[in-house]
Amino acid sequence: MAISMISMNNVSKKYDAVTALDALTLEVRQREFFGLLGPNGAGKTTLMNLLVGYLNPDSGTITIDGDNVTQDSLNIRKKIGFVPQSLALYDELTGQENLELFGKMFDIPRKILKEQIRDQLHAVELYDRRKDKTKTYSGGMKRRLNIIASLLHDPKVLLCDEPTVGVDPQSRNAIFDFLVSLNKQGKTIIYTTHYMEEAERLCTRIGIIDHGKIIALGAKDKLLEQLTYEETIAIVKNPSTEESKNLFKKFGVLVEEEDHFELKPAKGFLLSKFFTDIEKKGMQYSWVELHRPTLEALFLQLTGRRLRD
Amino acid sequence: MKQVYRLFLNSYLLFWKDKVSVLLTFIVPLVLMTIFGSIFGGSDSGQYGIRLAVLNQSLSPVAKQIESSLDTMKSFRIIKSFKDDSGKVITFDTVSIQEYVRAGKASAALILPTDAYTDTSVGLYVKFYYDPKNDIEMQTIGGLVRQVVFSQFPSIIMQSGLRQTEKFLGMKSGHAFNHTMASLVNKYFKIDTNRILHPKLSDFHIAGSDSGKSNTNFFQNIVRIDDQQLVGKEVKNPWATRSVGGWAMTFLLFTLTASSSSLFEERRSGVLLRLLTSPVSRVHILWSKYLFNMSLGIIQLFFMFFAGWAMYQVDIFSNFFNLLLIIVAASTACTAFGMLLAAISQTRQQAQGLGTLFILSMSAIGGAWFPTTFMPATIQFLSKLTVVYWSMDGFLEVLWRGVGITSILPHLGILFGMGTIINFISVRRFKKGHIFD
Repeated sequence: MAISMISMNNVSKKYDAVTALDALTLEVRQREFFGLLGPNGAGKTTLMNLLVGYLNPDSGTITIDGDNVTQDSLNIRKKIGFVPQSLALYDELTGQENLELFGKMFDIPRKILKEQIRDQLHAVELYDRRKDKTKTYSGGMKRRLNIIASLLHDPKVLLCDEPTVGVDPQSRNAIFDFLVSLNKQGKTIIYTTHYMEEAERLCTRIGIIDHGKIIALGAKDKLLEQLTYEETIAIVKNPSTEESKNLFKKFGVLVEEEDHFELKPAKGFLLSKFFTDIEKKGMQYSWVELHRPTLEALFLQLTGRRLRD
Repeated sequence: MKQVYRLFLNSYLLFWKDKVSVLLTFIVPLVLMTIFGSIFGGSDSGQYGIRLAVLNQSLSPVAKQIESSLDTMKSFRIIKSFKDDSGKVITFDTVSIQEYVRAGKASAALILPTDAYTDTSVGLYVKFYYDPKNDIEMQTIGGLVRQVVFSQFPSIIMQSGLRQTEKFLGMKSGHAFNHTMASLVNKYFKIDTNRILHPKLSDFHIAGSDSGKSNTNFFQNIVRIDDQQLVGKEVKNPWATRSVGGWAMTFLLFTLTASSSSLFEERRSGVLLRLLTSPVSRVHILWSKYLFNMSLGIIQLFFMFFAGWAMYQVDIFSNFFNLLLIIVAASTACTAFGMLLAAISQTRQQAQGLGTLFILSMSAIGGAWFPTTFMPATIQFLSKLTVVYWSMDGFLEVLWRGVGITSILPHLGILFGMGTIINFISVRRFKKGHIFD
């Protein structure tokens, strides 16, 4: 049985009248790459802030590696690396100076810190730019520096709060590869995002959070089993397909998007019959595309809303 | 044009939404206008309560008249006695009155000696001791005292003329001559003989009048005022020595307010969050900010005084230890003030706006720009509640008067006390405030 690294038990947090977390219970195992997926305002950042001890819960308990966060948050922070959503760096300092400054907060011996900084800069390919002021870095470079600034004390747990916001695809892929390698080295990672592609790609287990509650939890495949359909069918919007909306509705729930229709097949749906009927209407096969089920679809099914609403 | 109009309206909308900016746009000038207005214009304007020690040893009516005139002037708070260590009230003598000025308890002293104006005197003689710790104030005191003294000229010169005649012709002949002349003047100019032979002050209109001023130089040889500077004679550059503290304090407050507001920038960038997720507590952050700002304040103040020494020969080294104590105390209190601004504000802009309001107001009423004695009584009272007043006064004590540590203990106590109280309020506000939310 896998050992628990993070445990949240009936944790609630309110901001005035707004409930950010509502009696949330969650277990994250050692060496797990856990994804927390939810729309903006779902409670992801509050959950992270509670885990790092920045906020105190109104009720409930949080333990990390067996220690109660609220009772000994300063020492527990040595076990945690936190990558905040914002670029928490001093623009006027060089990359190396930023790392030295944040590293010293963890009482890392000078020699070890120096080695750590060198290794981490190499790992994210910033070593050659280490003496440049961070204000001269690109967005992707800053994001990478933002991540390694949280790793200098070699934490057991890495908490990443939407660490790829505003990053170009190439840099994003580099960050993903780096995080996956960290997980393989044994770090437990919690990764919050509202991009289901990121959660699907990175996380071995995913919790879907909405209005401060975990509404679905499990490995990606297990979560998708909760969908009432296996695949969706996208149909290009054009005059012919517009005329055939009633035909599509016979096969399931039809959702009209901006440039296409999305058909969620009903039980007993037969793909062969669907293609025969549309052929009879004179529609082309190329207008139709089969989509594998996604977490986005699951979220839509569970909440009636889209992740990015 | 429509677009310009829309953007124009949009600017007003944004400005109006920022209530703090709206308030500061109108409150800062209003407060400063009130302060300046109370000093340079308005019904309650002018100098008020300048401490002037007076010793009248003369029995002459002229001296009595001078003393009475000074008593009625709102510009002066006339002091004629002091309390000794046991609390006993003692009337000044010629020595103690000078000590009183030297100790900074009065800005100047006027002595009307026994021989100020006797029955045989030809002119008036007074002694004026002063401490020009503030140039503007001293010019005002000197001018007002001279105005009062010189207002006695007409009476004195008439009596002097009569006495000279009697002295020259002999008492009997002189007396007859004076009466004859008075009768002639009465006959041709219809002026009462008694008024000529026994002139009264009320018969002349000199004091404060234009004619009085124009005649001043003429009379100067008859009224003798012995001026003596009691404090600061050895100061190489009085102007720089007096003003360096005021400028230093104003800039210090601006620096510390900006520096304390850096917390807002660190919150915005997320650095504060990152620090608080390392083994660092809020208390650690506040203390580090406080110590940084305080040390920066000490360095800045020292730098400014050092520049005063290098450029204007302000003597900072002969009483260096005490200067350093006041620098530390002033910096402690000013840093606390900066931290309070950060604690009570919700944004950096708000902190800087409030800072501007308070710094300019405190500098104005605290005596950094002009003497507090130029202000109404209420503002003089308020000035004593400011960090600027006690810092400025402390710097003057040390640099101008060259006092020892016992004399600046009240300044140190008040500045450190202010720092402690403001810090206590700041910490409470930080706990409830928005900076760590």
